[in-house]
Amino acid sequence: MNRRDFLKTTVIAGTAFALPGTSSLFIKTLEAAEKSDIVAAHGLSPAVITKAAIDGLGGIKSFISRGDIVVVKPNIGWDRLPAYAATTNPEVVSAVITLCYEAGAKQVKVFDHSVVDPRRCYKQSGISDAAAAAGGIVSYIDDRKFREVKLAGVALKSWPLYTEAIEADKFINIPIAKTHGLSTLTLGMKNLMGIMGSSRGRIHQSINGSLVDLAMAVKPALIILDAVRILTANGPQGGDLADVRQLNTVIAGRDQVAVDAFGATLFGLKGTNLGYVVAGHKAGLGTMDIARLKIKKINV
Amino acid sequence: MIKKIRIATQGLFLLTFLWLFLQTESKGADELGYPVKIFLDADPLIFITTILSSHAWYNTFFLAILVIAVTIIMGRVFCGWVCPLGTLNNIVGTLKKRRPPRTPLNWHWLKYCLLIFLITMSLFSLQFTGVFDPISLLIRSLSLSVYPSISYATRAVFDMFYNLNIPVLGSISEFIYTLFKKLWLPFQQPFFLQSVFLGLLFFIILGLNLLEKRFWCKYLCPLGALLGLLSRYSFLTRQASEGCNSCGACTFDCQGNASPDKKENWHNTECLVCMNCDDLCPQNAVRFGFLKKTQSAASPVASIDLGKRRVLGMILSGLVAVPLVRITGINKQAGASEPKLIRPPGSLDEKQFLTRCVKCGECMKVCITNGLQPTFLEAGIEGVWSPVLIPRIGYCEYRCTLCGQVCPTGAIKKLDLQEKEKIKIGLAMIDKGRCLPYAHSTPCIVCQEVCPTPKKAIWLEKAKVMKRNGSELNLNQPHVDLELCIGCGLCESKCPILGQPAIYVTSIGETRSRENQLLL
Repeated sequence: MNRRDFLKTTVIAGTAFALPGTSSLFIKTLEAAEKSDIVAAHGLSPAVITKAAIDGLGGIKSFISRGDIVVVKPNIGWDRLPAYAATTNPEVVSAVITLCYEAGAKQVKVFDHSVVDPRRCYKQSGISDAAAAAGGIVSYIDDRKFREVKLAGVALKSWPLYTEAIEADKFINIPIAKTHGLSTLTLGMKNLMGIMGSSRGRIHQSINGSLVDLAMAVKPALIILDAVRILTANGPQGGDLADVRQLNTVIAGRDQVAVDAFGATLFGLKGTNLGYVVAGHKAGLGTMDIARLKIKKINV
Repeated sequence: MIKKIRIATQGLFLLTFLWLFLQTESKGADELGYPVKIFLDADPLIFITTILSSHAWYNTFFLAILVIAVTIIMGRVFCGWVCPLGTLNNIVGTLKKRRPPRTPLNWHWLKYCLLIFLITMSLFSLQFTGVFDPISLLIRSLSLSVYPSISYATRAVFDMFYNLNIPVLGSISEFIYTLFKKLWLPFQQPFFLQSVFLGLLFFIILGLNLLEKRFWCKYLCPLGALLGLLSRYSFLTRQASEGCNSCGACTFDCQGNASPDKKENWHNTECLVCMNCDDLCPQNAVRFGFLKKTQSAASPVASIDLGKRRVLGMILSGLVAVPLVRITGINKQAGASEPKLIRPPGSLDEKQFLTRCVKCGECMKVCITNGLQPTFLEAGIEGVWSPVLIPRIGYCEYRCTLCGQVCPTGAIKKLDLQEKEKIKIGLAMIDKGRCLPYAHSTPCIVCQEVCPTPKKAIWLEKAKVMKRNGSELNLNQPHVDLELCIGCGLCESKCPILGQPAIYVTSIGETRSRENQLLL
């Protein structure tokens, strides 16, 4: 039984026990059976579409259990205001945190290894305030908390990773969709670099293999790709509003490769255009063949 | 009683000073939110010499003028009741054994000599006051040396407990550490060049208190000298009544060695208005008050007699010093300035910059990346301890304007964000001999990735290179767009070629200079 099947049955069984009345049980079972692989929710409120996208996957309770310590990892890499689409939308982040607590999470931690000054990144991105307001435990990266982790990888043999991220019960990756000079786009897998320590610049010499190695080690329970605004040029840092496009979309999925492959379509590209998606597909991390997946599009 | 009030006042000012010092740090917002440079604003010596040297008025002068007015009315109350360095000297002085075995040095003249020297130089546009000014000196020493050392030691202790990993003790220590980080530890451990040297100078100054209490204040402080001159005819005077039997009890506790036992011949200009003599007098014969000046004209108030030779000597020294420090070869380089002398954004043109910078270290304290460091001789002796950006230590944060906000004299202009984003502090150039995609057929785009300008100043050229085994590789080679590059040094600080990066910034192209330009 693989992870996905396990989750499916758990949810079905869970609802069967939890819900009185056969009709609702029947509906729930049906919904669960038809559960999509990727949900793209479209609408004006980032918080509402975030919830809708997660609900489309079966609801937050299919990812978060009571008492979980959850790490929510947005992109807080740059000192930019939310409108510039260089950092994850703060409303998306706070919506996810709220949902996690509703599902009974014990703690929801929020952090990122910012590229430029973390104080400015946390503050100016609006994420620090929004996450804290939703009850998230926001912290700056503490250099003492990196631990050398063995990666059975092709590009990376071992790398210092952030202990709070690898020791969490559940890891939720909340990237924003942007362009990038080397990897063409930065989506979900690239966002995982935010838990890496040491001199991360070296990663770029073999970015595709490194990202797959990293994604294999981290295995997020859930990926929420923020495409409320996307950055179409001069990424990943941006700075020009003319490069920003408002898509009012949030994409949710479990498969890291599939989410990134779907994310590529936002930019008119395919998964095959992204080296790390191809590498991830080959390595068995996930599938980039999104034509075969159940993709649900919702308008809220 | 008066002593208690005085100590409380001193403590209050010292705490305010230290608190503002701690607030001279980014919290992530664009503004600091506190008037952190208020003590520098209130410093009349910086005020007067900056006006003399830069021939320009600057806008935050109310407090300095207030201090001047108060000194004219009440004497050196600033020294005795307000000055944070004076208070620190007081504190260290308590470690000295009482009853000095020998007579005091009475080198009061020394500080006046220094003052004349500094003012003469500033008249001829050489601003050297910051090196000796007590507020500047204190902020510089705390910022670049004392505070970083205390932080380092504190962190080392907590790191030790963290690494020991003892269950309960560990969490207690982490709790305290978190609290300390919120209250007074810096966000990140600061590192500064010359920290040892600057720290030693500061501790020597404090240590002199063991030789003689308030040694600095009595004999060296040029601000004390200036306030001494201003207090020459102050309205608040000290009166020793008939009851005084010249027992000399007051002399030991006189903070300024102002000869309080000499009744009318008490040295007005050396009195720090600490009023210890009033408190101590066994006869209760001493009073401070706005009284009529007894025999003020008749018997001249005992004052410092420098002697014509010293005055003249110091004026001449000041005159000689100006050309002497200006003939350094640094001022005759091709172009206008030292390539590694990258000044903070908003800095005035080098000449004007030097007429204003008082080396207080506020900009270095507040610099969000720790990149602003004190110069040694890169800008000549004239510019010693002025700020220079060293991108390998820290780059200039694109949307940060804090250095201009805290500069007390306008040597670094206060910029708004739009202005800041346009200002070039230098230009980046690529060392193709070290750069991975050029020299080593290895992909890397870190400089382009981090480049913060909205349209990236680093652009990538698709290139086909050959590997050793003969296979071809497609990769991107970076180029700098000199029109767009602002010289912030983020690329240099993140370049994976550590130590000697393959992209680096020099001052050429800096907006502030007319001469130091590259593009037509």
